[in-house]
Amino acid sequence: MQRVELSIPSHPIFERVVRASAAEVGVAFGFSDERVEDLKLAISEAVSNAIDHGNRGEVTKLVAVVFEIDGEKLEIRISDQGSGMERHDVSRHVIDEQSLETGQLRGFGMYLISELVDDYEVSSSQKGTMLTLRLYRRQEQP
Amino acid sequence: MNDIIRREEFGDVAILHITSTSVDAISAAAIATENEQMRPITVLDFNEVSFINSAGISALLKFVVSARKSGYKLFAMHVSPHHQKIFKMVEMSRFMPTIEERDLAEYR
Repeated sequence: MQRVELSIPSHPIFERVVRASAAEVGVAFGFSDERVEDLKLAISEAVSNAIDHGNRGEVTKLVAVVFEIDGEKLEIRISDQGSGMERHDVSRHVIDEQSLETGQLRGFGMYLISELVDDYEVSSSQKGTMLTLRLYRRQEQP
Repeated sequence: MNDIIRREEFGDVAILHITSTSVDAISAAAIATENEQMRPITVLDFNEVSFINSAGISALLKFVVSARKSGYKLFAMHVSPHHQKIFKMVEMSRFMPTIEERDLAEYR
């Protein structure tokens, strides 16, 4: 098993640090360029959620990210130091006339994550929320 | 003056070249402010963009909202295959279709 650990302050600029690391881990894992892009986006959304909704942008609170390569599986755990979340909306969220009329221009993050990774789970308590993403190495079409 | 958008105008057309490689929470505000100066045909050029996340999509949606209110046309240009996939996933492509650079020639 190989492990990479990061810990960032809750500021969006540091999300870019995690994203850059995700790209390197994805390449090391043998992902195609397209799956590296999927990985970067899924992790970006997860870290942004941890910063904005978990830690509520309090820069002194940290977001911990652990990448773990275990055989054919790449697991990423993203944890915040917030007070937990009651629910996680992973329903399909797309742009439509109604959302444009009402100004609902956000909220695509969890939907994108659910589409881009092979599986994921959320655990939340009063000590924070942890999102676990899993992607598997697979035979890619040429 | 906006460091993240380079503006090009001719006739009724404005091409907004996004010069940031990331359309994310950091660049979103600067990109979104340009929606206040749209032209009847506005094209967002993603040639230099290598990453877009949902915070970036939210900023781009401000252009969609402004275009719909003004009756203007909004297009995207030089969108990578990955970003085309993401735009399709959230149905952004319905409201901001892609255009080829050669199709703008008739307006010059």
